[in-house]
Amino acid sequence: MATNSLRSSGNSFKRSVTAFTTTRDPLLQCLAPRLSRSMATEVQLPQSEVYSPFTPTILRRPPPPVPNVLATVYSFPHMEPLRFTEYPANQLHLPLRRDILQRAVVYEADGHRGMRTANTKWRSEVHGSSRKIRPQKGTGRARLGDKKSPMLRGGGVAFGPKPRDMSTKLPRKIYDLAWRTALSYRYRRGELIVVQKIADIENEDSRWMEQIMQWNHWGKEDGRSLIVSRRVMPKLYEALNGGKEQPGCGRHGIVKEEADIDVKDLLELGRVVIEKRSLDAILREHSSDLNRRVPSAVRR
Amino acid sequence: MPPRLFNLFRVSQPIVRPATEISPFLAPCLCTQQRDAHILASLADNPSALHKRIRRGRGPSSGKGKTSGRGHKGQKQHGKVPRGFNGGQTKDEVVHGKRGDHKFSNFSVDMKPLNLYKVQDWIDQGRLDPSKPITIKELRQSRCITNVKDGVKLLAKGSEELKSPLHVVISRASAKAITAIEAAGGSVTTRYYTPFAMRRIMQGKMDPINSLQSQIKQGEEIARKSFYNRLPDPTSRKDIEYYRDPAHRGYLSHLVPEGHGPSLFFKTPGTGKMALRKGSKSKAAAGDNRIW
Repeated sequence: MATNSLRSSGNSFKRSVTAFTTTRDPLLQCLAPRLSRSMATEVQLPQSEVYSPFTPTILRRPPPPVPNVLATVYSFPHMEPLRFTEYPANQLHLPLRRDILQRAVVYEADGHRGMRTANTKWRSEVHGSSRKIRPQKGTGRARLGDKKSPMLRGGGVAFGPKPRDMSTKLPRKIYDLAWRTALSYRYRRGELIVVQKIADIENEDSRWMEQIMQWNHWGKEDGRSLIVSRRVMPKLYEALNGGKEQPGCGRHGIVKEEADIDVKDLLELGRVVIEKRSLDAILREHSSDLNRRVPSAVRR
Repeated sequence: MPPRLFNLFRVSQPIVRPATEISPFLAPCLCTQQRDAHILASLADNPSALHKRIRRGRGPSSGKGKTSGRGHKGQKQHGKVPRGFNGGQTKDEVVHGKRGDHKFSNFSVDMKPLNLYKVQDWIDQGRLDPSKPITIKELRQSRCITNVKDGVKLLAKGSEELKSPLHVVISRASAKAITAIEAAGGSVTTRYYTPFAMRRIMQGKMDPINSLQSQIKQGEEIARKSFYNRLPDPTSRKDIEYYRDPAHRGYLSHLVPEGHGPSLFFKTPGTGKMALRKGSKSKAAAGDNRIW
């Protein structure tokens, strides 16, 4: 049944949710009700048997023959389920690729190492004369050239450290695939919690935030959580991340700005609580390998 | 050596592994937490993606032990030999440099072949508009051709599939391709492009069709768009002669007088200075010799 429905969805561009519910993770089935009706509008393909001289038929490559996946949108911090939202399977239902994730995490770590600044002077850079400090012969002592020789005290350093860039490169398409693979991994395990909007809390008292984290099973006992907000919320950040003594080391989790997170952040803690707009922005930004536009010289 | 306590503990404790099939169903009901190894701890690249470094000079069993792959004696064993060094003689690339007109020569022309079936396929897909002239710009924009070096040559493979009348402006075209396109009611113009020109055309800074020597047909106006660069005309005799040839549908064929050949070196028989002088002389001689 599943294969039949997949084939039909591929043929008619119909995004059938019923086919999806049969193959989906059972954990998510408990969260989302079964939908008996397709949510997307059905579109019939234009059928043209007669050859006409110019008909621009292919505008975009057809979507993958995999149905969309559902996610529940909650309110924050009350975690009231508000509605369901759909995401394409190539964004939130990608297979786990440990190799891709590893390359992304290493790439980010190399980037964080960045420029190493350790610096020493080679003999040509040391300040001083290049005069021969003693005659070649006749002194009964060793032959020596200038006083900047690395053998002498005060001379240059042979094979010493020089500033170097530790960052490495990764193709953009692989990095983008890693972002979506990481989010898909979280989604499949039920660890991606989409919330409608994260507003700043009224009081920066950490006890209130602590209770919220524990009540939702997001806290230290449950592996801590990463909360991704779209902008910096000063009170929320102080309540969760800790004060100036321990910045960024919240006991029950970390709250970070959307611009600050990377692939490793998504994989690090027990779950990711993310604002829907941030999730959409991340998916939009990291989809360079999904460029489905067919290159064309015809302006449309 | 006594057994390690850590391993003993592991053996003594029963390994509880939840069945993967059933546990997700029960997970929400039982509220138990399944803790696997952390994902960051189990990341690794594919084994085939990594090459093991060859460790030189680390014993005979390594295969690179005794001489470390450097052979015996001399400068090559001990240090570096300059690239191309030929023992003090003139370097090999100087003695036998790139010469002639072949693949590795500086004078060869690398034309990208483009067959008619592909053009028709692109038109069928709606990626090329046959109502407008198809130039290198359109072909590259729609990725009908990629990696163009010196130009594009239109070839006739799949000419029976050609249905639309095309107006093609391209570097070169085969005789069969020209016949096929004109039989379908289209036209071919071959014109001179350089790699620089093609780059600028793609940037929109150069006219893709007309240059100074192009023939502007009556009724057609030159595009008012001010281009940053002007499309170049050929300067070498070989190129000029190709584009002067009406058989190639060259864009310079309007410069060739009626009945003349495209060559700049060989004059058309009967049109040279000698032939003209000869003709006038013989006429005059005939006049002088006339008795009455």
